[in-house]
Order: sequence, then structure tokens, then C-alpha cells
Amino acid sequence: MRKLLLAVMLTGLTSTAAAQTKIEVLARTCNTCHGTGGVSAGTSMPSIGGLPREYLKRVMKQWKYDERSSITMGRIVKGFSDDEIDALAAYFASREWTPTPQKAAADALAAGEEAVRRVCTDCHGMKGGDPDIDAPPLDGQWGKYMAIEVEKYLSPEFKMPHRRMGKAVTEVKATEAEAAVRYFGAQGR
Amino acid sequence: MHSILRRDLLKVVSAAAGVAILRVPQARAAGAKARVVVVGGGFAGASCARYLRLLDPGIDVTLIERERRYTSCPLSNEVVSGERAIATLQTGYGGLSERGVRVVFDEAARIDPVAKTVATAGGKSFGYDFLVVSPGVDFDYGAVKGLTAELAETRLPHAWKAGPQTLLLRKQLDAMPDGGRFIISVPKGPFRCPPGPYERAAQVAMHCLHHGKKKAKVLILDSNDSFSKKPLFEEAYKALYGYGPGGMIEWVPASSDGKVEEVDAKSMTCLTTFENFTGDVLNIIPPHRAGKIARDLGLATVNGAWCPVRPENMESTVHKDIHVIGDACVGGDVAGGNAFPKSAHMANSQAKVVAASLVAKVNGQPAPDPIYTNSCYSVVGHEWGFSVVHLFRVDSGQWVYVKQGSGISPVSFGTKDAPKPVPRIYRKMEAEYADGWLRNLMADAFG
Repeated sequence: MRKLLLAVMLTGLTSTAAAQTKIEVLARTCNTCHGTGGVSAGTSMPSIGGLPREYLKRVMKQWKYDERSSITMGRIVKGFSDDEIDALAAYFASREWTPTPQKAAADALAAGEEAVRRVCTDCHGMKGGDPDIDAPPLDGQWGKYMAIEVEKYLSPEFKMPHRRMGKAVTEVKATEAEAAVRYFGAQGR
Repeated sequence: MHSILRRDLLKVVSAAAGVAILRVPQARAAGAKARVVVVGGGFAGASCARYLRLLDPGIDVTLIERERRYTSCPLSNEVVSGERAIATLQTGYGGLSERGVRVVFDEAARIDPVAKTVATAGGKSFGYDFLVVSPGVDFDYGAVKGLTAELAETRLPHAWKAGPQTLLLRKQLDAMPDGGRFIISVPKGPFRCPPGPYERAAQVAMHCLHHGKKKAKVLILDSNDSFSKKPLFEEAYKALYGYGPGGMIEWVPASSDGKVEEVDAKSMTCLTTFENFTGDVLNIIPPHRAGKIARDLGLATVNGAWCPVRPENMESTVHKDIHVIGDACVGGDVAGGNAFPKSAHMANSQAKVVAASLVAKVNGQPAPDPIYTNSCYSVVGHEWGFSVVHLFRVDSGQWVYVKQGSGISPVSFGTKDAPKPVPRIYRKMEAEYADGWLRNLMADAFG
């Protein structure tokens, strides 16, 4: 089957195959910080394999055009063309989301679930695994990373253009937000 | 001495049984498309072996590495200051074995580029179709008068290869009294981890501040006139430790007689052209050059120290089918002042280019356009970090440094005329990202 597929690609779809190779090469450069295949092994770095295409595209372009604050990514994506950004978004969106469930204390989970039910489920789904089409899944995303993102939304020093998220973080207390990211981080599939 | 004896012994053994050794290199795994041997299992070699197997399990990959455990240099300055346990920077090679890499713990002693074999000190021989040379750097102790390899392991650790010397330097710092002086001697570039010496200075200062040694001094004696991420380091030095005369950290550039020419271990003195500096801890980082095996093979033709390679696939310009990656190579826009930094991320990136190129070649496909990236975080205090990123592409067979995709963390948020300090929260988050970066780097290379 693979050989047949290869033959088809070589005869009819040479240019597509070449483009595909190229995006894989480019995508591989993301692995160094975001984990092989976009599944992160470091708590402060987000997994990106399996995030929605629209979300990835939007965020990378906002960084590129200085519409969204970033620490590192803004400097990196400025080196990529818009086409490359679109292709990267499509590439990582085509991968399966792989949660990394993290341990959390029972009381944090209970408090987190309550906060999540109140402000997060509309966009991200009850356990973070059933998000809107352009919202990121949060089930088994790294808690540390999510806490940093919440901090950015709460800080006046960051331009974070997603209004709904900007409002959501103000609707929970700091301890509730902390519990919410623990709750999401603990979810598996 | 020991290894020389072993090597001589090997010569005798090979002379007696040489035919057998050379004629029967390790058999090719049944059905393997090609044999790749990787010499040296640091970030470069491990990443290359791993990605070769990830991209095409039909390739037979052998990794030859001396040590059974690897210690990451990135973030090892936090071990020196006591902020981090060295175990968090260590890994074995089990992950690579599980992916089907044949990991051989031995020393690659001799490469024959014509017969295409690698002989080890342990008396084995491995035939290859393609060879990846990633030996890292050797230290040129002779370049600093009075310095020896033995002194580096006892009194004057460079700790520029993470491991026992890192722990020794940590012990020396611990024992340093208040009012003591910690001297870091920086070699002329290029050297491994360009921001490393300056991150170390900050980590040492932080240790002193937190351990009741407020009168301690960190003196950087530099063989260069500038350094990586300089404005970011200087901002942090000033804010956290005091910088310059009267501050805790002082930097003496080469143009102010900062180059250490000689060291006297007995009196713990560094000698520059005109001055003597006595210290309680002397951290003398010797100049580097490509690992011996690369130099022995004649690959290091740039100043007799570094191995030039082709932009499209990191193949040596000296020998066909031999690729040199990691700190031993020289690449990037050297003429434009933007050479590849000798960093772990850069090594990992080069490794992926080689893996993609070899996989394409073995499968009769055109090699994909390469792309090279780097990122490097420095942590200079509690909740204070920053980074640099690099992007290189290849155009018309030449490396192009892509300025738009490169650069250090912002130094100011204001304009040139009205500078505004970057909020601390940015520095805090970069310190948090540093740990995630390191974990992924380790996993992407060794996992």
C-alpha cells in the first residue's frame, strides 16, 4: 500500500510531494522546543501537535505582525513567510492531540472543575477536550504553560487580542485560575 | 597515557589480526538500506541517530560513544551555583536503543575514509556507507601557559564539558569565603556556548548573594572585546549584582588587557600581558578545537581547529560521505559575522538536516531544502532569563543569515530616544521557558 501510494505521489503529485517534504523539514525545527511531533516534554512549553489549524494560524500571524505579545515566538515567526505559517499550522493541526495528564490533588481538581464549569467550558469543552473549532484543546496541556498564559492575559504588559479569553480570566479568582489549569492538565483521553 | 597505551596495543592486535578486523566489519542488518555510523553521542550525534531512525527505520544506525551517561552543558551553570541538581541534566542512551540505534560504548580511534570503516579503541570495526562525525570540542590546554589537563581535573576546572568538573567547580565556589574572588577566563572565540561564561558569572554572583558572601567578586577576564547578549547581561548584572568597579561582577575585555596568557596554580594567579590577578577560584576555560578524531582525519582545515562543511547537507568539504555536525563544525554566514553558534539547539538542527539529506539520498529522492535554527536561553538570577534565536536558510549553495527570524530578547520597549525598560515579567517568563526548552531539547535528542 505504501509503495502504491509512493508511486502515485511520484507520478502524479511530484510538486505536492516536494511541498510536503519541505513543510516536514520546517516543522521539525519546532520540535526542539515543543517536543518531537509537537508533544512537549517540558512543563513550560506547550504541546502544539493537534492544535486547531485556525488557532495556530491566527496566533502565529498575530505574533508576526506584532498584534500579540510574545516572549520568544514573535522573533521566530518573523523569519517565516505567511505561506510557511499556513503550512505549519496545517501540519501540526493534522497531528493527533496527545494529552500529557499531570497529577493533581483531589481538592485542586474539585475547585478546578467548578471554575472550569463556570467560565471555560463554553469554548474549551468540559474537560478541555472538546473545544470550539478555533480554540485550543486544553486536556493534558501542560499546567505550567497554561498558568503562564493566564498570567499574560492578566498582565497589562501583554497585548493579548482574544477578547473573550481576556474577559474570562477576570471572572475567576487567582486561586481558581490556578485550580482550573491543574484540572485541565490532569485530563487524559 | 592510558588511552595511548591502549591505542598502541590495538595497533599490534590489528597488525596481527588486521585483515580479519578490516574484512569483517559488523554485518549489515538484514535488508538495511544503508549503514550510518555516528561518532560521538552529544546533542548533535544523538539527535542525528534518533532522527535517522524516526525518518527511515530501514537505515542501520550505529552510535559510538565513550560515556554511558550524558550531561547537558545547557543550564549546567545552575549546577555550579547550586540551583539545580546535576541529575536533572543527565540521560542515558536507552531511548536511542529502543528506537533501534545500535549504541556502542567505546572510543572511536581511527577512521578510514577510503575503506569506509571506523575502528574503535576496543578493537571493533564498523563499516559505513555514510559517516557522521560529532565529537564536540577538545580543549587546547597548551594555549594557556601553566595549564594542563590534569590541573583542569583537580585545581582549575574549566567545567566547559558538563560532568565531574561542574561538580568540582561547585564545590570550590561553596568553599570560597566572603570577600573571595572568582575569576572566569574566557578564551578567544569561537567557543562552545557563546553566552555561557557570562551566564556563569551571574549564577556565581547569585550564589554569593544568597550565601552571605556579599563582598565576593566575580572577575571576567576576557580574550574578546564583546560578547553574546551583552546588553541583556549588563542590564541584569547592574540590577541584580552591581556591575563594574565596586560592583560584584566586573568584566575586563581583551582591549583592556583581559586576555589570560598564563596561570600559576600554586599562587592561584592569572597573568595577562601587564597584570597579575589572584583569585580564590580560577575557572580557566581553555581555547577549543574540534575533537581529536576529526582533526586526525584532516577534517579541521579552518585554522587547524574547525571542520568546514557544505551548506546543503553538512557534508565535509574534505571527505565525501562524511558529515560533521555540532561544535566541531564551522558553518553559517561566517564572512558576515554570523557563524553558527556552537550550541545544543544548533547541533540538534544540523543533525536533522543531515538525517533528512541522508534519508532522501538512500531512497533516491532529491534532498529537501535545509533550514537551520537556534534558540538559547540564559538564566542569570531567580526569575530572570533571556534568549537569542537564529535562523539560517540556504540560497544558491550559500548560508544566509535571516535577520528577521533572529535576535535577542528585547533590550528596551521604548524608542531609541526614549528607552523604556522591559517589564520584569518578560524576564521571569524566559527563566521559566528555559527549563521547558532544555527538557524538550533533551527529549528530541535522546528520547
